[in-house]
Amino acid sequence: MRVLALSAPLVLACGEVRTCLLPSFQALDGRAAAQLLRLRADELVRVSERPNLYALSPDVLTGVDCRLPTSNGTKVRAVGTVAARAALTEGRVLQATAYFSAPAGGPDTRRPWGHYLVRPGLVEPFGKLPEQATAEGVLRGGGRGELDLGMISEGLLAQLLRHPLLDHKAPFKSRRTHLRWAARRAPEGEGPSLERFTLAENGLRTVSLRLPENTPAAAAAGLCEDLALHDWLLTTVVHMLDNSRLGAADGPSAVLALRPAVDHLLHLWMPRAHVDHTLGHLWDVLEREPGFTRQWQTLVQRIRDQLAVQAVPLLHKALSTR
Amino acid sequence: MLVFAASDKGGTGRSVTSANLAYHRALAGDDVCYLDFDFGSPTAAAVFDVPDARQAAEDRGLHSYLIGEAAEPARIDVWSDTEHRVLRTRPPGSGRLVLMPGDVSGGEFATTDDNLRRCVDLLLRLNSEFDLIIVDLSAGRSYAVDMVLEATSLREMSGVEARWLVFHRWTRQHVAAAASLVFGKRGIVAGGVARGHDEEALRNVIRFVRAAVPDPESALWSQVSPTQSAWMRECDRDLKQLASTQGIGYSLVLGSVPLEPVLQWREQLITDEDVLDSQIANRETWDALSELAGRLTDDKFWEQP
Repeated sequence: MRVLALSAPLVLACGEVRTCLLPSFQALDGRAAAQLLRLRADELVRVSERPNLYALSPDVLTGVDCRLPTSNGTKVRAVGTVAARAALTEGRVLQATAYFSAPAGGPDTRRPWGHYLVRPGLVEPFGKLPEQATAEGVLRGGGRGELDLGMISEGLLAQLLRHPLLDHKAPFKSRRTHLRWAARRAPEGEGPSLERFTLAENGLRTVSLRLPENTPAAAAAGLCEDLALHDWLLTTVVHMLDNSRLGAADGPSAVLALRPAVDHLLHLWMPRAHVDHTLGHLWDVLEREPGFTRQWQTLVQRIRDQLAVQAVPLLHKALSTR
Repeated sequence: MLVFAASDKGGTGRSVTSANLAYHRALAGDDVCYLDFDFGSPTAAAVFDVPDARQAAEDRGLHSYLIGEAAEPARIDVWSDTEHRVLRTRPPGSGRLVLMPGDVSGGEFATTDDNLRRCVDLLLRLNSEFDLIIVDLSAGRSYAVDMVLEATSLREMSGVEARWLVFHRWTRQHVAAAASLVFGKRGIVAGGVARGHDEEALRNVIRFVRAAVPDPESALWSQVSPTQSAWMRECDRDLKQLASTQGIGYSLVLGSVPLEPVLQWREQLITDEDVLDSQIANRETWDALSELAGRLTDDKFWEQP
């Protein structure tokens, strides 16, 4: 996307990603995915098939003129556009992101809309931007009358879910997650870093980042979509294992409860597959602590062991009746 | 699956019975969501004993959501937020039990395109998350009834299974009123057909629940005089006859809930403790609710009569 040279450098980028299972009986192929994500007639959906099937919609813009959420109650009015986009991974997991970036300050008056329209995804504050308070405010979530990224991403997601391609016969029930992120500018000369990843109640996750000045907000959005996707996979499979009552329920029913994981989820794990190469290493932090892939492998192993254990008696039976 | 709980009049035990059904399904391991679409008089907060719901519903209830004032309706996790002593301990193996309260001050409202779209978005979203969604509708041919009839007629919702429960008391007036609510000139079926539902398909997903039914054979009435007893039997027979001629006979009844003082007076969930330990509620009531909860999704009871 073309972004005009700006007088004020960008100091903050924020977004919210909502992640859910695509409510369709079958996973969509690349062509159907492109059809679903065709949010604009003038821009194509990007579909890549390696290393996995991944489709990314063009950005759509929402004009905003409202207060920014701040953690300390500072009232900052801001005007501009919030970008929103959707991604579909392996035709199975749907994500909608709303994000914007903001400069350190702006004029005290509203400019003609033309000014904002040529700066897609940019929201300009009136006066000085309280960076930290705004970042914290976004992570906490917007109140009434404040910029609400969740509402914009939810609106996009709801619009997609009404698409005629979807039959709403998902193979299993699952919860959505929403991940809010805020990226402040890294100190001069320092690379990108992931400061904090937290799991809150009700499927809410927050991520704090530090990014160098030249990192585009879309790249940060891509990283956070990747984090959200894998966090959703972990959350969903853990829930499925909890519900299967392994050990308590008798064998076949537990296996039946785990079957959707095998059919639809286990092959989706692929961190960094579509993350901007300058940000891919931020995954390392999460791999060390808490160890996303480590937990995933344990879950996968547990499911496979269960299937194997259930298969043994069947094999035994088959051999003895010969 | 969506289950719409409707009734001809107030005071049929619709809310308290459907809340109990939600509770039974959650106990059995389903993830259940209960939506209070009784916009005139939301009662679910009291039934589930969640005082927090009143607070949340002040400005983030379903009513505010549907008219576009709240981005998302408030959700109350019943197991963790209830003040009910027994409910607070979530039994192992149980599913989620979530309440979406109505607004304290919300009244009826017209179905506009925007309201309808938000209703559809919400139902689709909940359908992907919950095994069972029970929607408690205001009594009579209310806006709430119109809205969900309209919503379920849309193409977007065609993949979502929906069933209707019509609650009525076991009296002459209630039987007649329930029949007219469903089959009358301005009834649910006619309203559905006008919105593009297939008449036969819609009829096949509507079942009746007889509430507060005094069972002449029950121990509760064992002390009454022989004349009274004979009279009760006769009334019961007449009512069965009436129900049958009104077109809501046995084959369309999903179940009956006995007359139960705890449901009538306390209007709360009946727990196994109420039945087994304190014994304030009748075993029959628990069994009836449990049976009804099972039949909600048992296709045998939803075949063409």
